[in-house]
Amino acid sequence: MEAMLNLFVSTRGSGKMMKEFLLNTGSTIEEGRLAKGGSKLTEDYTQECAVCEMNPGDFQDLGSPQKVKITSRDGRYSVAAYAHPEESIQSGQVFMPRAIWSNVVVDPETFSTGSPLYKGSPVQIEPTKEDVLSAEELVLKLYVRS
Amino acid sequence: MAFKNIICPVCGASCDDIQVELRGSKIVTKNACKMGNAKFWEIFSPHRIREPLLKESGSFCTALWDEAVDRAAMILVKAKRPLIFMGSETSCEAMQVGLHLAEFLGAIADSNSTVCHGPTAMGIQEAGRVGATAGQSKSRSDLVVYWGSNPLESMPRHMSRYGVYPRGYWTRRGRFDRTVITVDPRKSITARNSDLHIQLKPNTDYELLSALLTLLHGKKPHPSVEKVTGVSISEMEEMLERMLGCNFGAIYVGLGIASSFGKHRNAEAALNLVKELNNHTKFVIGALRGHCNVAGFNQIASYLYGYPFGLDFARGYPRYNPGEYTAVDVLREQDVDAALIVSADLVSHFPAACARYLAELPVACIDIAPCPTTMISQVVLPGVIDAMECDGTFYRLDDVPVYFQPFTGSPFSFTDSNEDTMKQIFQKVKEMKR
Repeated sequence: MEAMLNLFVSTRGSGKMMKEFLLNTGSTIEEGRLAKGGSKLTEDYTQECAVCEMNPGDFQDLGSPQKVKITSRDGRYSVAAYAHPEESIQSGQVFMPRAIWSNVVVDPETFSTGSPLYKGSPVQIEPTKEDVLSAEELVLKLYVRS
Repeated sequence: MAFKNIICPVCGASCDDIQVELRGSKIVTKNACKMGNAKFWEIFSPHRIREPLLKESGSFCTALWDEAVDRAAMILVKAKRPLIFMGSETSCEAMQVGLHLAEFLGAIADSNSTVCHGPTAMGIQEAGRVGATAGQSKSRSDLVVYWGSNPLESMPRHMSRYGVYPRGYWTRRGRFDRTVITVDPRKSITARNSDLHIQLKPNTDYELLSALLTLLHGKKPHPSVEKVTGVSISEMEEMLERMLGCNFGAIYVGLGIASSFGKHRNAEAALNLVKELNNHTKFVIGALRGHCNVAGFNQIASYLYGYPFGLDFARGYPRYNPGEYTAVDVLREQDVDAALIVSADLVSHFPAACARYLAELPVACIDIAPCPTTMISQVVLPGVIDAMECDGTFYRLDDVPVYFQPFTGSPFSFTDSNEDTMKQIFQKVKEMKR
């Protein structure tokens, strides 16, 4: 695990900035209010949950982007979210509310327990100009094959 | 019309003091938290699913109830290896029907409890658990440890009803008689309201628990543990000193334990620490179970079939092997060919590889509001809200069963409850299999 924790390495090069972080997902009270209130397909839910909170130092290192693209460890899945600097988070870690956006990049390995790595999944993050999709758009783009 | 002592069907706290006032098509609640309040409003919400829906040529159209139940049953009957997924915001009675249906079909049965505290349940199987009811902890505990949990956002009334603020028989001054320690990589709102915050690095719970056990055994952990966990040995000593100094300590573990690297071994280490702490003072441990009745599935599955989650009935008898028969794993490995999902949103809350495969399968679901899982389903059956519109049983976070009674009836003529819907599907499946 030590090797994984030390993966916070800047890979600046050819004008592209990408860093490796450990993703922590969890509840927020507003996420809970909207999810329990059946509002998962609303703009309010997107604004609350399509968010990537990171340490202000890391945020600056990434160029203080408005949006970031988070990519899963195996590079198969990625999702755009709004970037927020947040003092409560240590450098090298990011936090996303538990919702469809964060789960796109959560590692599906369960280590023979049935429960994926909702906390501590390695992800790669870079600034992006991609649109932040709603839950509905994300399902149609990533999951539903025409 | 006003009702008192209503059970809230949202999180594992199963708060039993909700007051509800129905004024025509409006509802006013007292004592409920933000999440609970939002759920009570669902009774009259404009987006509530009120008619059965069938997907035809990629878009939904309303259908007759019998037609939709037929289609749901057909999906299950045609499948070789279906998944029956029982979400947590429904009653034990509905879960029981789901488990029997899975046995009848030779299906896989699983629930939210697996991705919630499945690893904690596995840790309990390894180490046993020194537990207490929420009431005992309220009356006695003078030290509370929130390990990998943030109850102020995930179970908003835990601190005020059971954990920290209430005045118990031996904790007359409430918060002033209690010490609160939070172990969390993030300085969460719970951590900010604690007396001591241990800010460990992610994925190092096992190492920190092992170091605490070493200190408890009177030995000094290897100095490298400071670099690994990000916590100094002096902080660990301070934490342990406070724990040993209390009369009754309660540890509430969250998904920080169950969902991070180490999984059930983290839980096992925490349970062993509590066992050893009992050589010095009284200590108990319990899981903060985020979803309502997520504990119920573990209880029902255990007493009916001997295993708490992830059951495979393919051979006609229950088999249990987490990582092989559990929902995330069978979807990731593309090992099922249909699904019935009850009161759960797997597309939102499972990793992408699982959600993507689920979207390729014939799926029937029972739900109350539109969500990503209803979007990918072929059949959507309207859900009845337990504890508001029908009676039944939940298990609270401390595994205490709570019987709930409704304050209004099912809004549908075709079903009284999710249990009733499951029974109708089961009946249809039996008829089709004859």
